[in-house]
Amino acid sequence: MNALYVVLPLALLVAAGAVAAFVWCVRSGQLDDVDTPPRRILFEDVGVNPRPHEDGARSA
Amino acid sequence: MTVAQVAEVAEVACAHCGLPVPAGRITSERSFCCTGCEIVAQTIAAHGLEQFYALRDEAAPARTTDRGYGELDDPAFHEVHVTVGADGLARAALYLEDLRCTACVWLVESAPRCLPGVVDVRVDFGRARADVTWDPRATQLSAVARYLDRIGHAPHPYRGLDRDGQRRREDRALLIKLGVAGAAMGNIMLLAIALYAGLFGGMSGEDTSFFRWASMLVAVPALGYAATPFFRTALGALRAGRLHLDLPLSIGILAGLGWGAANVIRGVGEIYFDSLGMLVFLLLLSRWVVLRHQRRAASAAELLLALTPSRARRVDAGGPVDVPIEAIVPGDRLSVLAGEVIPVDGMIVEGRSALDVGLLTGESRPVDVTVGDRVHAGTANLAGPLVVEATAVGEATRVGALVASIEALSTRKAPIERLVDRVAGRFVVIVTLAAALTFAAWSFISVELAAEHAMALLIVTCPCALALATPLAVTVALGRAARRGVLVKGADALERLAPVRRRPARPLFRDNGPESTPPRDTSRGTVGTIFLDKTGTLTAGRLAVVSWRGDLDAAGLAAAVEAGSGHPIARALVAHAAPRGTAIDVREELGRGITGLVHGRRVDVGSPAWVRARAAWRVVITDWTAELAERGETPIAIAVDGVPVAVVGLADPIRDDAAEAIAALRGLGWTIELLSGDDERVVRRVGAALGVPSASCHGGVSPEAKAAAVTAARAHGPVVMVGDGVNDAAAMAAATAGIAVSGSAEIAIDVADVYLRSPSITSIATTMTGARETVATIRRNLGFSLVYNVCAGLLAVTGVIHPLLAAIVMPLSSLTVLASSLRSRAFRHDGGRTDAGAGAIAAADRGAR
Repeated sequence: MNALYVVLPLALLVAAGAVAAFVWCVRSGQLDDVDTPPRRILFEDVGVNPRPHEDGARSA
Repeated sequence: MTVAQVAEVAEVACAHCGLPVPAGRITSERSFCCTGCEIVAQTIAAHGLEQFYALRDEAAPARTTDRGYGELDDPAFHEVHVTVGADGLARAALYLEDLRCTACVWLVESAPRCLPGVVDVRVDFGRARADVTWDPRATQLSAVARYLDRIGHAPHPYRGLDRDGQRRREDRALLIKLGVAGAAMGNIMLLAIALYAGLFGGMSGEDTSFFRWASMLVAVPALGYAATPFFRTALGALRAGRLHLDLPLSIGILAGLGWGAANVIRGVGEIYFDSLGMLVFLLLLSRWVVLRHQRRAASAAELLLALTPSRARRVDAGGPVDVPIEAIVPGDRLSVLAGEVIPVDGMIVEGRSALDVGLLTGESRPVDVTVGDRVHAGTANLAGPLVVEATAVGEATRVGALVASIEALSTRKAPIERLVDRVAGRFVVIVTLAAALTFAAWSFISVELAAEHAMALLIVTCPCALALATPLAVTVALGRAARRGVLVKGADALERLAPVRRRPARPLFRDNGPESTPPRDTSRGTVGTIFLDKTGTLTAGRLAVVSWRGDLDAAGLAAAVEAGSGHPIARALVAHAAPRGTAIDVREELGRGITGLVHGRRVDVGSPAWVRARAAWRVVITDWTAELAERGETPIAIAVDGVPVAVVGLADPIRDDAAEAIAALRGLGWTIELLSGDDERVVRRVGAALGVPSASCHGGVSPEAKAAAVTAARAHGPVVMVGDGVNDAAAMAAATAGIAVSGSAEIAIDVADVYLRSPSITSIATTMTGARETVATIRRNLGFSLVYNVCAGLLAVTGVIHPLLAAIVMPLSSLTVLASSLRSRAFRHDGGRTDAGAGAIAAADRGAR
C-alpha cells in the first residue's frame, strides 16, 4: 500500500504538468482564434499549394 | 396604344455570384450581374485563383470600390497603425468587409502569392481582421489594399486594437481558468471514485484520510482560483445592492470548499469536492461558450470611419492634393468627383450635381444640388464634379452627431431584467432562510448535525442547472438561427424580441370616450409595435423600371444613351434592357435628361418637361405622364428623332415577400407602422399595396424623428424597429430591439440586435417566433432546475443527502437542462407552431437557404 503514497503525488504532478502546458498554450496565443484554423485546413484538400510568384501576377 | 408591363428578361446567371444578370449586362461570353463581380472574377482569373469557386459554400455578389488607398501610405497613418520589425518587415492590421466563408479566407491569404513584396497575410475570421506583413522596400500597403479591394474585400484601418488586446486578455484568463477547473474536476473525480469504492469495499482509515487530503489539496486552490469570476461578480452585485445569479453560486462553492476543508482537517464529516469540481467546470464552460457568441461591438469612431471617406481632395493654390480627412479644417475647399462620397458637411461653391442622400434620409430619389446648397458628409455625389467648402468635419458633421446619438441611445438601453437573475434573487433569499431554519431545527438534536445539514443544503442547492439554463437554450437557438441566415446578437436580444403578450393598456380615466383609443384586435391583445422602414427594407432600395407606356423598342436605344451614366435613372434603364448599339455625342443635362446619337438617330431621354421642350409633343404622352405620376412613379420620357415615343415609370419596387412578412407579423399580434424619410404619398402607396392603413404610414420622417417616434411608442409597450440604413440606426438603438435586413449599412448591422443575412424579410416573423420559443425553453429549463433544487434541498433538510447522491443528482439536473435545450423548437426547420400562416414560415425557410 505504500506505493500509493508515491504514485498518487506523481500522478498529480503529471496532471499539473499538463495544466502548465495548457496555460502556456493559451498565453502564447495559440487558442486566440479558434474560428479560422478549422477553415484553413480545408485549403490543403483542394490541392492549392503556393505557386511561385511568376504567374502573371507581377503585372497586376 | 402599346401598354406593356415589364416582363422578366431571359435568366442568365452571373458567372461570379450566380444571381440573375440584368438584361443590359448580358454578353456572349461570361456575364456578370454587376461591376463588382466582374472585377473580382477577373482578378481571380488573372492570378490563377479559380480554386476559390471550389472552396466557397456561399455565393454573394461582390463589391469593389475604385479607391486608390493612397492614405494608407501616409507617414501619419504609419505612425499609428504600422509597426516595423527588426527584420525590416512592416506589419499592419486591416478590417475587411464581406468576409463570409472559407473561400474568402483562402482568397485573402493567397495575397502573398499574387503580390510581390507581401510576406504574409493572416486572417482572423471571427474579427474580420487581416494581419498583413510586407516588405516596405518592395511594395506599399496601398498596393495590398487595392488588391484586397479588387478581390471584393474592401479594407479599412483596424481601429479596435486596444479593445481587442483588452478582450484577448479576458478571453485568455477565462480559458486558463476553464482548463484548471477541468483538470481539477478530472483528478478530484478519480480520487472520489476511490473514496466511494472504499465506502463499500472497506478502506483503511489511513488511506481514506490520505485520499481526502489529496482531494482537498487539489480542490481548494484549483477551484478557489477557477471560481474567482463568480466571486467577483457576486461581490460587485452585492456592493451595488443587487442580487445576481453568481451570489448563490458563490455561496454554494465557498460553503462547499470551506466545509469540506474543515471536515478533512477534523477527519470526520462529508466532503463534496467532486460535485463542486463539476459545477465550477460546467459553469465556466457555459460562460466561455456565451463569450464566444458575443459579437464584436464597434466603437463610435470606428463606425464614423466606415461611413465617411478617410481621405479628401483639398483644393489648394497649387491644385488639388490628397490629404487624410483629419487634416481638413472648416473653411477648406474640397473637390468631390462624381461617384465619390462627400467627406464633410459643407456648402457647394462650384458645380452642380445630383446627390444620393439615402444614407441620411432614406429618400429613394436623387436630389439635385447646385452652388449655395448645403451638403452632408456620407452622401454620394452621383453626377458631376463639385467643389465644397467644409463647414464641419468628423464628429461635428450631421452623420457624426447621429452616430454619437446612436451610442448614447444604445448605452441608455436599459438591460432587460433577465429572467434568470430575477429567479436567482428570490432563490438566494429562500435558500439562506431554509439553511437557517434547518440549522435551528436540527440544533435541538445536535449542533454538529445541524451544521452538517445546513451546509449540505447550501452545497446541493447550488444552482448549477439554473446557471446553465439560459446559456444552453440561447446557444442552441443562436446556432440554429444562424444556419437559417438570422444572426442574433445574444441572449438579451432574444429575450427582448419575445415580449410577454399583454392586454391593451387600460387607461384609468376614460374621459376621452372609447373612440380616442386606437382600434385594436382585442381578441389577441397586442404584443407591441413594429416600425418598418420603407426604402431598402420593404422595397429594393433602388430605382427600377416598373411600367412602360409606348414603343417598347425604344428601350434599347434609351439604354445605349444611358450606358455611360452613373445616374440611378440611367442604371435602372440599362438594367432593364440591353443597349442597342453605342451612343456617340452624348450630352447629359443634370436633373433634366440626356441626349445622344445611336445609329444616326437622335435619342432624348429625360423628364417629360425637358423632352417636351426638345421634341414635337403628343397628347398621349401627357396622359401617360399624368397616369404614371398619379401612381407615384417617376415618369421619364423618351423621344427618337424629335418624336416622343414612350414614357417609362420608375419606382423603387416593393420586395416580393413584403406583404407576406407583414401578414405573418400581424398574425403574431404585432401592430405594424411604416416610418420613412421618403415622401408621405409614396409611403402611403407602399402601405396600401401591403395592406397597411394609411394612418400607420408616416412619411418625411427625419432620422432624429424616427428615434423620437420609437421612444414615444415605447411608453405603450415593446417596440421593434426594422430598417437598413444609417437613418434607421438611431431608431433601432432607441427601440426595445432593432432588426437590420440584408444589405444594411454597416452601422445599422452594428446597432441592431438581429441581422437578417438572407434577403427574405419573412424571416422577421421566424425570428419573433424563434425568440418566443427560446424564452419558453429558458423558462422550462429554469423550472427543471428549480424542481431539482427543491428535491435536493428537501433531502438535505431531512438529513438523508449523501455526497454520492449529490454527485449523481447534480450532473443529472444539468443533463436534463441540456436535453431540454436541444429539444427546443426554436428556429427548427419545422418552424415551430405559430398562429402565423404556415406558408410564411415555409417561405422564410426557403429564403434562408
